[in-house]
Amino acid sequence: MRGKDVTLDNMSITYPNGFRAVQPTNLTIQAGEFFSILGPSGCGKTTILRAVSGFIEPSEGEVRIGGQNMAGIGPNTRPTALIFQNLALFPLMPVWENVAFGLESRGLSKRDRRAEAQKLLDLVALGDQAEKKPGELSGGQRQRVAIARALAVEPAVLLLDEPLSALDLKLRQHMRAELRAIQKQTGVTFIYITHDQGEALTMSDRIAVMNEGRIEQVGTGDEIYSAPQTAFTASFVGEANRLEGRVMAASEGMADIETPMGRFRARNPHDLAPGAEAMLFVRPEAMLLDHVENQLLARMQRRDLEGAFLNLFFDAQGTELAVHITNDGQVHVPTEGDTKIGFRAESAVILPSGPLARTGQELAAQ
Amino acid sequence: MKGLLKGYGAALSAFFFGAVLVWGLILIILPQLTMLERAITAPKRGLDSSVALSLSRDAQTCISVLKTYEMQPDAEAASAGGMGIPSASGMAVPSSSGMAVPSATGQTPAQATRPYILQCDRANTHKSLVRASGEPSQYLDTLYGLPVMAVSDGDTVEKQIATADEITKLAKALFVDLKAREASATPYTLANFGWLTQARMIPLSETQKTIEDAKLSKKLIGLIGLRFERDGKVYERIGLITLARTLSFAIAATALALLLCYPMAYKVALATTPERAVWLFLGLVIPYAIVELMRIYAWTVIIDNNGLLNGVLQWLHVVDDPIQFKRFPGTVFVVIVYTYVLFMVFPIYNVMNTLDRNQIEAAKDLGASTWRVHWRIIIPHSKPGIAVGAIATFMLSAGAFSVPRIISRGLQAEWFSQTIYNKFFESENSNVGAAYSFAYTMVCFVLVGLFMWLMRTRLKDFARVQ
Repeated sequence: MRGKDVTLDNMSITYPNGFRAVQPTNLTIQAGEFFSILGPSGCGKTTILRAVSGFIEPSEGEVRIGGQNMAGIGPNTRPTALIFQNLALFPLMPVWENVAFGLESRGLSKRDRRAEAQKLLDLVALGDQAEKKPGELSGGQRQRVAIARALAVEPAVLLLDEPLSALDLKLRQHMRAELRAIQKQTGVTFIYITHDQGEALTMSDRIAVMNEGRIEQVGTGDEIYSAPQTAFTASFVGEANRLEGRVMAASEGMADIETPMGRFRARNPHDLAPGAEAMLFVRPEAMLLDHVENQLLARMQRRDLEGAFLNLFFDAQGTELAVHITNDGQVHVPTEGDTKIGFRAESAVILPSGPLARTGQELAAQ
Repeated sequence: MKGLLKGYGAALSAFFFGAVLVWGLILIILPQLTMLERAITAPKRGLDSSVALSLSRDAQTCISVLKTYEMQPDAEAASAGGMGIPSASGMAVPSSSGMAVPSATGQTPAQATRPYILQCDRANTHKSLVRASGEPSQYLDTLYGLPVMAVSDGDTVEKQIATADEITKLAKALFVDLKAREASATPYTLANFGWLTQARMIPLSETQKTIEDAKLSKKLIGLIGLRFERDGKVYERIGLITLARTLSFAIAATALALLLCYPMAYKVALATTPERAVWLFLGLVIPYAIVELMRIYAWTVIIDNNGLLNGVLQWLHVVDDPIQFKRFPGTVFVVIVYTYVLFMVFPIYNVMNTLDRNQIEAAKDLGASTWRVHWRIIIPHSKPGIAVGAIATFMLSAGAFSVPRIISRGLQAEWFSQTIYNKFFESENSNVGAAYSFAYTMVCFVLVGLFMWLMRTRLKDFARVQ
């Protein structure tokens, strides 16, 4: 274990043009943890990364690494290493010099640097590519060079800025496993920035969901997915059906909500009092056909076959509801007339109204 | 080729090839070959056949002038005097001092039957031939076995005409003979290049010599063998000294321009936000919009005897008499740097601008100091731009003509480009100018090649400079 913990203490960042990229934030990342910051583009996650690596000084508050305040310590002396989104390998140097670059300023002789680089290249299975230029390698190999280069300086904290986004799907999935293995092997604290929830959920010990410069929720993947705390988290991570309405009654962690589609019962983690504007979120895979609890009537609009699964899209008084069910070959839903669909109260959650993640349709219209 | 035809069509492809042909063949190769040929051609006047030809022409002109006396023998000598001398043809122009031989006969004016006629005086077979200094002098009659003949103004006009006619025939025959011989012999010579290395005696008094010897520049020149003493007299290889001096100034100017431009380009390209870089960029472009001559004249306003700088110095009572800045070699150097500095900034700026700023951050993040970031990341990336800028600045400085001319006004040692100009247009042998020019081109070419090799720049790297 050589990772160190990272603490953001009431840290905020305001750019010179007045834009506040990060609202005052308190966050503690444990030593040796694989921590992801998940959010849409422009949410301030990269700004946090740059503040930890030392390229930006916090406007207020402080960044501490291993308990030490990092104010006034430049990126070249912090115990961090950053892997850039475009990797930023040095194209004019051979692979081994790329990897050994961080050792140059430590005064190691060329022979020692070459040996150290070889060790790291062997670790990422690129031992025979040392003399090539980065431009001669494939995308996945370049990725591994970037990792080896960052690990060469023996950082306590490795910062990764969406390093997998340029890779194609198969390779990306493979690299996820590889990154996770390297993290376990080295014990370095990983802070992983991504907008891809699949990456965040599969690799991370914990995840912070960010929106508009604010951390919405911090938790394990399961907590984030199954027990979202805000409307944004619920709508950003995974898919969710949303019903808007007003809380009518609340008791023992559960509440009733009145919506145009009817009155439904669900979990009430925020203990919303009757009368509050609220949103009910329920995952498509939690929707059940012919379920009597929380039942509503809807007309089927579209049926997408995914093989093992069926994606059914219903229209309930103008609100689209997705139902995700296992395809056992026995599913028959009439396209004419209303169908009864429902969900269990335990698998739905009532959250205060708030900003939502943009839908694909909204993003496409941009 | 096929791709070109497909992509651009026949007309554009033809235009493209035509343009390349015009550029490569007519604008680059042809002038160099012409220059080379002129450089290795012996000067026309210097050939022995040319001397024979000019003798025959002089004798012929002499005859035609004498004939005017034959027709009007009573004419006043004084009034006729004006007729003989201004000959319409170019042959009457005095040629090199070695060719004009004073009349061999040495007649007294009392016996003269006619006024002095230049061409008759020159119609003399004892004519000296053009030889390089150091070689023994040769004469037409002794070398080629002509009888010693001269038009004597003591003879009767008929006799003079007959002599001149004889000389014309002999000279013409010799000319035809020599011409044929010269054509069959190798027509080319490297003698023109020899001028470059020629040592000239520098007349110096004892005190002057002591002062000159003490100068560092003279010592340096002596060290590389361009200045030496023989029999107590000082000799300098002036051509080579000018060449070496110009080249070292040009190299120093290039180095200084690079030192100035690298930080400037870095500041604009990488260390400034794009919005503010626009203004800095504008500041770099504006000087470009001023005509080069005006940029140079601006400096004369500053360094003149009653210019800005002297005015300030006198006003501050630092000096009483104006300092003659235009006599200092440094001024030409400074103005050259100022005039051509822009040709260094832009290539570097352009290529620096293409550097991914993440690479700089990555290097910093990996612990590199500012110095190391420059040395390992920015300079290697900018190398093609640095090479292009350095080559452009060097070639412009080495070939600078207007700057030394305007700034020094002849009060400083020549720039080599001025020497070439003078050899071309102000000396009797323009072929030497061609030799100087060609030699200079080659020297610069070699220096540029050497520089590229030192920089480890390959030609394909230049494709990165836009």
